[in-house]
Amino acid sequence: MIRKYLQKIYLTLIFILLYAPIVTLVVLSFNQSKTRAKWGGFTLKWYKELFQNEQIMSAFYTTLIIAFISAAVATLIGTAAAIAIQGMKQKWKTMYMGLTNIPMMNAEIVMGVSLMLLFIAFRMTLGFGTILIAHITFNIPYVILSVAPKLKQTNRYTYEAALDLGASPLKAFFKVVFPDIVPGVFSGFMMAFTMSLDDFVITHFTKGPGIDTLSTKIYTEVRKGIKPEIYALSTIMFVTVLVLLLLVNYSPKEEEEVPVRKKVRRPSKIKKVLIQRVIPVVICIVFIGGGFYYAKEGGVMGGEELIVYNWGEYIDPDVLTMFEEETGIHVVYEEFETNEILYPKVSSGAIAYDVVCPSDYMIQRMIENDLLSEINFDNIPNLKNIGKQYLEQSRQFDPENKYSVPYCWGTVGILYNKTMVDEPVDSWSILWNPKYKDNILMQDSVRDAFGATLKYLGYSLNSTDLDELNEAKNLLIEQKPLVQAYVIDQVRDKMIGNEAALGVIYSGEAIYTQKENPNLEYVIPKEGSNIWIDSWVIPKNAEHKENAEKFINFLCRPDIALKNFEYITYSTPNEAARELIEDESIRNSEIAFPDLSRYDNLETFQYLGTEADQVYGDLWNKVKSS
Amino acid sequence: MSNKLIDLIDISKSYGMQTVLDELNLYIRENEFLTLLGPSGCGKTTTLRILGGFETPDKGRVIFDGQDITNLPPNKRQLNTVFQKYALFTHMNIADNIAFGLKIKNKSKQYIYDKIKYALKLVNLDGFENRMPDSLSGGQQQRIAIARAIVNEPKVLLLDEPLGALDLKLRQDMQYELIRLKNELGITFLYVTHDQEEALTMSDTIVVMNQGYIQQIGTPEKIYNEPENAFVADFIGESNIISATMVQDRLVKILGVNFPCVDEGFGQNKPVDVVIRPEDIDLLKPGQGSIDGVVTHMIFKGVHYEMEVMANNYEWLVHSTDMFPVGTEVSIHVDPFDIQIMKKPESEDEEAVNIEE
Repeated sequence: MIRKYLQKIYLTLIFILLYAPIVTLVVLSFNQSKTRAKWGGFTLKWYKELFQNEQIMSAFYTTLIIAFISAAVATLIGTAAAIAIQGMKQKWKTMYMGLTNIPMMNAEIVMGVSLMLLFIAFRMTLGFGTILIAHITFNIPYVILSVAPKLKQTNRYTYEAALDLGASPLKAFFKVVFPDIVPGVFSGFMMAFTMSLDDFVITHFTKGPGIDTLSTKIYTEVRKGIKPEIYALSTIMFVTVLVLLLLVNYSPKEEEEVPVRKKVRRPSKIKKVLIQRVIPVVICIVFIGGGFYYAKEGGVMGGEELIVYNWGEYIDPDVLTMFEEETGIHVVYEEFETNEILYPKVSSGAIAYDVVCPSDYMIQRMIENDLLSEINFDNIPNLKNIGKQYLEQSRQFDPENKYSVPYCWGTVGILYNKTMVDEPVDSWSILWNPKYKDNILMQDSVRDAFGATLKYLGYSLNSTDLDELNEAKNLLIEQKPLVQAYVIDQVRDKMIGNEAALGVIYSGEAIYTQKENPNLEYVIPKEGSNIWIDSWVIPKNAEHKENAEKFINFLCRPDIALKNFEYITYSTPNEAARELIEDESIRNSEIAFPDLSRYDNLETFQYLGTEADQVYGDLWNKVKSS
Repeated sequence: MSNKLIDLIDISKSYGMQTVLDELNLYIRENEFLTLLGPSGCGKTTTLRILGGFETPDKGRVIFDGQDITNLPPNKRQLNTVFQKYALFTHMNIADNIAFGLKIKNKSKQYIYDKIKYALKLVNLDGFENRMPDSLSGGQQQRIAIARAIVNEPKVLLLDEPLGALDLKLRQDMQYELIRLKNELGITFLYVTHDQEEALTMSDTIVVMNQGYIQQIGTPEKIYNEPENAFVADFIGESNIISATMVQDRLVKILGVNFPCVDEGFGQNKPVDVVIRPEDIDLLKPGQGSIDGVVTHMIFKGVHYEMEVMANNYEWLVHSTDMFPVGTEVSIHVDPFDIQIMKKPESEDEEAVNIEE
C-alpha cells in the first residue's frame, strides 16, 4: 500500500518538476501586470498585442519557415547520406558515421563562428539564406542519426528480394526499404525541426540585419526584460505542439485488433487518416502560410536603406516607421544583447552596419581600434538639443566629441525599500551593513560589482591598480555572506516583489520599479558612482553614412526623443525633449534627471584593455568561488 | 541427366585480402537438385549470390542457358532466390508479397489472382492472402517466401539456407515439402546449406566446398561412402580418419596391423589416409577381430550406442546396436569394402586446399 502511495507521489513530483515552468509561463501570459513579480489580474491583452506586434510575429514565422525548410532539406540529404553510409564497408561506415557525428558533438559556438567565417569568406550576405544553410548543415547529422539505426534494422535481404523479383533498384528502395525506415525519417525530420526551432547560437552568428528568429528576438529583449507577448506566444506554441502530439498519437479503439477483413475497417481508417495526418498537416500549412504572409510584409524593398544595430527594445517601433515615412529610407533593424556581442560583429566587417548604439567604454574601444568614422555634425543640426553636460561626460570615452551622439544615459545606484530600511541611505557602506544580511542584491557583473566597491573605497571605478583591486576584492568577499543573490535583471522583479531590502540597480530600471512599487527609493551614493551613456556612432565600413546622419539627427528631434523616452524610460540627454515631458514629477525626477553638476565623482566605465580585463575576471572569480 | 543450364567458369572473388572463391568451376544441369555444402565461410553463399546477381565475380564468367549473364543485374535474371531470413515485405500482406514480382511484370489482375491462389495451395497455406507476415510462424513465412519466388516461374530457384532458422521438427517436414515442390514444379533447385543431413536427404548432387575450393562433387551416396579426402569424410557424417600405409594393392597397414581392402593403384608403401565409418566397425570378442581394445566411453543415442574403443593407441569411434559397457574388452573388425583409402596431400599447398581446421 505504502509503496503504491510512494509511487504516486514520486510520479506527481516528476510531473510537477516537468510542467511547473510551463504552467508558470502560461499563467504569466494572462497577467495584467507587466512584471513577473505581481499578479495584476486576468487579461488577454498580451495575446491581442502579440498578433499586432509585427516584429514578434515575423520573427516567429521566420523561425517556422526556417525550421520547416531546413528540416525538409536536411531530411532529404540526411536520408540519402544514411543510405549511402549503410552501403559502405565497415571501415568506411565507422569513419563516416564518426565524421557526421562531430558537428553534433562540437560546441555550437564553434559551429556558428566557423559557418559565419565561411559565409564571409565566400562573400555571402548574411541573412535568411545563410541561416537556412547553417540550419540545414547542423540538422543533417540528426537525420542521419535517426535514419541509420532504422536502416540497420531493415533486413538487407528484403531489398535484395525485391531486386530478385524484378524490381529496379529505385523501385525496390521506394517499395520495400523506404516503408521500413519511414518512422526513422519522420522522427529525423521532427528532430531537425525542433533543433532548428530551438537554435540560438548558430542562428545568432549566421544571421544578418533585419532578420530574427524567435530565439534571437527573445534574447535581444533580455536587457529590457522579456515582453509578456512572448509568454503569450510561447503558450500558443506549447498548446499547438500538445494538440499535434495528441492528434498524432490518437488512434480509434477499433484499430487495436489485428485487422482481418480489409473492407470492414475502411471507414475507421479514413477517420484515422483524417485525425492523424490531415488535421496536423492543415495546422502546419496554416502556420507556414501565415509565415510567408508576414515574411512578405516585412520584406526588404529596394531603394535607399539604412542598417541600424541597436540594443533590444531600445527604440519606439513607431519612430522607425515615422523615419521611413518622412525620409523614404528603408530601415533594416537589428538588435544586440551586450556590447561584447556587438563588438566582434562590427569589427569582423561581416555586416556593414550604418549606425550602431554601443555604450561608453565600447565606443572608446572602437575608437582605439579605428572602427568608427567621424560624424559630420553639419548634418546634425539637432545636436543643439543635447545637454552640454552630457557631451562633457562623453569626453571620457570620446575625448573630442567627434564620433558619438548621446542617446540614453543613466547612473548606477542603490534601490531600497523604505519599509525595510529605516535609516537614511546615502552611501555604498549600507551594502556592508550586517543588519541587512540576506536582504541585499548585487549585480552579477564584474565591472558593476567592482565599480560600486572601488567607489566606496574612494578609488576610480576604472582603477587598474592591483592593490586597490585586491582591497576591493577582499571587501566583496567580506560582503558575500550578506548578499541574498548576485543577479542581473531580477533585481527589478525582486525589489518590486518586496523580496529584498537593498539592490544595486540602473537608474532607468529604478523609474519603472518605483511606478510598480511606490515604497522603493533610488539613490546615487555620495561616494560617487558609474554614469553610463549609450551613444550613436557610425562604423568605418558604413555604406550609407549620410542616411545614418539623417537618422541620428531625426532621433535628436525633441518630439522623437520624447517618444523614445516614454517607450524606453531611460533618461534622455535631450534637454528640449525633457522640457516636453508633461508629467512634472518625471520631468523633475531626481532619478531620471539628477543634477550632474552636484556630482563630481561620476565616472563612465572605460575600456581597460585585455590585460586588465583578465585581472578583473580573475578577481571576480575569486569572489564568486570564495 | 539433361544438359547444362548453368555454367560457372573460373569464378574468383575476394573481399579485401580474403579470397573467398578461387577459380571455381561448376555446372548445374536442368531439373537438378544441387546442394552446395560446406562450413560457414567456405564460399557457398558467395557462389549463390554471384548466381543471383548480388555479387560480381572478380574474374570468371557465369553462363545461364547459353548466355553470359555475369554483369546482368539481379532484376534482369530469370532466377529467383529464397533468402535465409525469409525477407518478406513486412508492411504488405501475404497476397501483396506474392504478387510483388508479378505486378512489376505488369501481369493482369486475374492472372495474379490465380497465381496467388495456386502458389498458396502449393505451399499448403490456402486462405492466407490477407494475413500479415508478422502473424505467421517461421515455417509459414518460409513457405510464403518460396511461394513468392515460384510464382515468377523461374528456371532456377536459389535457396540460401532456407531452413536455417527453423526448429528441427519443422526443418525435417520442410525437407520433404521441398522435395515434393521440386518434383511438382520440375525446375532446377540450387540449395545452399551447412547441414549435411539436409544435403544428403534432398539433393541429386552435392558439391562439398571448403575455403573457396570444391572438395568433391557427387551423389549423396558417393559423397558419404567414398569421400575423396579427409575434409569431406570429416564433414559428412562421423568417421575415423587414420594415417596409414598402403602396403600394396588391396592391403593397407593401419596402426601397425594389416587390413585387406578393395582399393588399388596407390603404389607400394605409400602413406595414405583411411576413412572408416563408425557404423562399419564390428565389435567382436577379444582375439576374433583385427585389433583388440577396451571400451572407454559409451552413450545411448536412441537408434544406436556410440562407443569409443581404445585400441593400438587410437580412440575408435564405433556405432553399434549392441551395447558394450565401459571396460569391456573387444576386438575390432572392418570389412575390406568399408575401408576408404584417400591419397595423402603431398605438399603444404595441397594440404591447405584439402584439409582445413
